[in-house]
Amino acid sequence: MSVIEISNLTKIYGKARGINNISFTVEEGEIFGFIGPNGAGKSTTIRTLLGLIYPTGGSAKIFGKDCIKDGPKIKKEIGYLPSEVFYYDNMKVLDLLKYSASFYKKDCSKRIRELADIMDLDLSKKIDDLSLGNRKKVGIIQGLLHEPKLIILDEPTSGLDPLMQQKFFDLLKEENKKGATILFSSHILTEVQRLCDRVAIIKEGEIVTLEKISTLKESTYKKFKIETAAPIDKEYFQIEGVNDLEEDGVTASFLFKGNVNSMMKKIAGIDIVNIWVEEPDLEEIFMHYYEKED
Amino acid sequence: MNIFIHEWKSYRKSTLIWSLSLAGLTILLFSMFPAIARDAENFKRLLEGFPEPVRKAVGLELDSIASFLGFYSYMFLYVSLCGAIQAMNLGTSLLTKEIREKTADFLLTKPVTRKQVLTSKLLAAVVSLIMTNIFFLTAANLMASIVKTESYSVSAFILISISLFLLQLIFLAIGVLVSVIIPRIKSVLSVSLGTVFAFFMLGIFGSAAGDEAMRYITPFKYFDPAYIVKNSAYEPAFLTMGAGIILAAILAVYYIYSKRDIAI
Repeated sequence: MSVIEISNLTKIYGKARGINNISFTVEEGEIFGFIGPNGAGKSTTIRTLLGLIYPTGGSAKIFGKDCIKDGPKIKKEIGYLPSEVFYYDNMKVLDLLKYSASFYKKDCSKRIRELADIMDLDLSKKIDDLSLGNRKKVGIIQGLLHEPKLIILDEPTSGLDPLMQQKFFDLLKEENKKGATILFSSHILTEVQRLCDRVAIIKEGEIVTLEKISTLKESTYKKFKIETAAPIDKEYFQIEGVNDLEEDGVTASFLFKGNVNSMMKKIAGIDIVNIWVEEPDLEEIFMHYYEKED
Repeated sequence: MNIFIHEWKSYRKSTLIWSLSLAGLTILLFSMFPAIARDAENFKRLLEGFPEPVRKAVGLELDSIASFLGFYSYMFLYVSLCGAIQAMNLGTSLLTKEIREKTADFLLTKPVTRKQVLTSKLLAAVVSLIMTNIFFLTAANLMASIVKTESYSVSAFILISISLFLLQLIFLAIGVLVSVIIPRIKSVLSVSLGTVFAFFMLGIFGSAAGDEAMRYITPFKYFDPAYIVKNSAYEPAFLTMGAGIILAAILAVYYIYSKRDIAI
């Protein structure tokens, strides 16, 4: 079953670009990455899903229901963590979380304690006195305390130290195991790589590609780096499938897409001292998508 | 209900401060009455020194100023000015507060409709005004029983006093309307003070010029104490006008707010 179905969603802000004709679906139980640089339209898409802004065209469904018309109903099962966390400053953390819980008509006090323990957050402090990272923790607990079926995260890791990030990711994986679907927006590829099953890459308001993380990495490129005893002929690796070739006397590095055997034969033809064959990380793939379009 | 309670809690302190200030002002102004009543003739002569338009502008009626209700009508102008500022302030900050402090995202991603949010917030604001009026009425009645020199029409006294609440409702509605039309108000106080004083000055100029039509423009002139004292009733035309403004403003607010994009 699709938890999120976005079809031809468009949002135009005056003259500025919002999002244009975006379509994708997120299946139940999936951790879906939503990747793009700042201003590409990630937040716009998410805010439309949450009914904070209204689409200019197209529609979005969550749990099979229209996200505008049935917004209040479906939001019972959504947990949302915004990129910047702002709360009523003069409230205590516990009071804010209780206020947040009061919208869901179920007892969340036990879950609040649990989450606060995991995230190591002092509930008796005033929001005003919290550091950025601790505010973020409040946001995380606030987003998860009602055990939502769909968790929407908009650049959630800013301000969290690596240790907390790890705890947070473990928490998300646990929620995911329990059946929660997660939409994870970010411009940091490594975190998406660590967590997500599938990813949509958005650029200037349009979806550039939508792939499984695994295929995105496999079906594309291998990164080769070769060191030879004698200087390499400049033309030697100029064959089909080679990209970003860099030669520096006795070393050559390039991205290769195609039959690995033909490349191996090619390499066997010269006297090599050392060789590295690596999976390119998402960052490189991502840059590739962006450069290709320009 | 939870939003209402949350909102009301956030208003408690400012409501108490406004209520005490308004009650304090009432007590202070009333305490001047015995001196004026005692020296009525001298006081009137003093006032005669002022040109008539000035007297009219600030609502001084020579014939009635030394009478209890006359004095009350006069001082009530200043009470209503303060009350209007309170209500306008409440109204303008009602929704802009969430935008300014960026808490709108928190509230509106909860399973609530915008209408529910708005209704709860409006109710909390109205409760805040009711509290203030209870304080004011108590103070006014207490002082009236202390300083009165003659028997007076209790119903006129009550009607004048309650017109504070009606005036505040009008300014609350105007305030909320302003806040949905200009959602990014940086300084609520300057907008609300500006608006209220503009209406107040319009009222003063209107009275000075003796222009009847001007009365429709400013809510400060909808509840004319002189008329209330004479008839023990509000003027139907202005009562309708006030209700119309409230209704139109609130309807517009509901409409605009439920269509609005919540910007980051």
